[in-house]
Amino acid sequence: MGNFMKEFAKGLIITNPVFVLALGLCPTLAVTTSINNALGMTLAVLIVLLGANTIVAAIRNFVPSITRIPIFIVVIASLVTMVDLLFAANFPDLHEALGIFLPLVVVNCIILGRAEAFASKNPILHSVADALGITVGFMLALLMISSIRQTLGTGSLSVFGFHFFTLPILGKQPIAILVLPAGAFLVIGLLLALFRRTGVMKSD
Amino acid sequence: MLDKNALKKAFPVILLTIVVAISVNLLSFADRLTRPQIEAQQQLKIQNLLTGMFPDMSRYDFKNDIYTIYSDGAKIGYAFIAVGKGYGGDIDILVGLEDDTTIKGISIVSHSETPGLGSRITESFFTNQFAGLSIDEVALKRDGGEVDAITGSTISSRAVINAVRETAMEKVKQLDGSE
Repeated sequence: MGNFMKEFAKGLIITNPVFVLALGLCPTLAVTTSINNALGMTLAVLIVLLGANTIVAAIRNFVPSITRIPIFIVVIASLVTMVDLLFAANFPDLHEALGIFLPLVVVNCIILGRAEAFASKNPILHSVADALGITVGFMLALLMISSIRQTLGTGSLSVFGFHFFTLPILGKQPIAILVLPAGAFLVIGLLLALFRRTGVMKSD
Repeated sequence: MLDKNALKKAFPVILLTIVVAISVNLLSFADRLTRPQIEAQQQLKIQNLLTGMFPDMSRYDFKNDIYTIYSDGAKIGYAFIAVGKGYGGDIDILVGLEDDTTIKGISIVSHSETPGLGSRITESFFTNQFAGLSIDEVALKRDGGEVDAITGSTISSRAVINAVRETAMEKVKQLDGSE
């Protein structure tokens, strides 16, 4: 159990997928325009990463190394397609908001990266812990970026139709560039700089 | 006779084939499971947009890409999907016609315009301008029409306007021909 917690906890900060590993930046930049989208993407990544890590860890002992990458990709692509269908059937609004970035979870480096670097070498239980930890780390990063972009870029904050507050001046004249693609780079760059400067996260 | 070595060499290929076969079966199963729900969602979306446009609608027919709207058996209008070439890709617009010449209203079904700029084509201050216009009035004010463009999004505005006007003319011709 101690190991389980260790594998889980490392995903939050030490190997945070966005701020330390700098993986999966494309969906991170694209879907962090609102907290809703960030949570939707997290749910998709949770299902796919959990499924992929479990299956890869389960079959790791008899997959020959020359075909491992195609097999991992088939596993991941099947999971993503199922999640895509599931979202289209049950959450049409979210499915529309995530758009092309939902099917593109297939090529999200976080998922293949964890399958190759972790799940293919570790038992199932540890791989599940790794998947959960990495997903929570991913979620924390997306929430941080999207709450900044949504609040300053639209001047107000609401999540799933629940309105929290509207900022006094920015409510009328929001910093619209923050919800545009350029804003994603600015916010993620500043956050990375802040974490390095304060020493919260180090890459070594 | 297969010797052990050949079998060993073929193993990765066989394994990959099995994995793909399992995956294909699972996916077609998932597709069959979710298809009715996905189709129902799309149906519901169109229906909601149509009732928003024609509040008196009691039922509609769909034939040759044209929705014919009925209220208690009487025809009260038509609707169809127009596709515009926007700044970020196709814009699908549901256009309602009151009769052969007058627009009942429009609403944007899907688009991929720039958030905060072109995406404002979905907002009511823009789409409400179309209600009640005759088809040839659907043009930017600077082009002699009746519609104000969105500041900073002339390409998106024009894409919607042109698609609505051109498709409406085409559909009216089609309707005239069929009656």
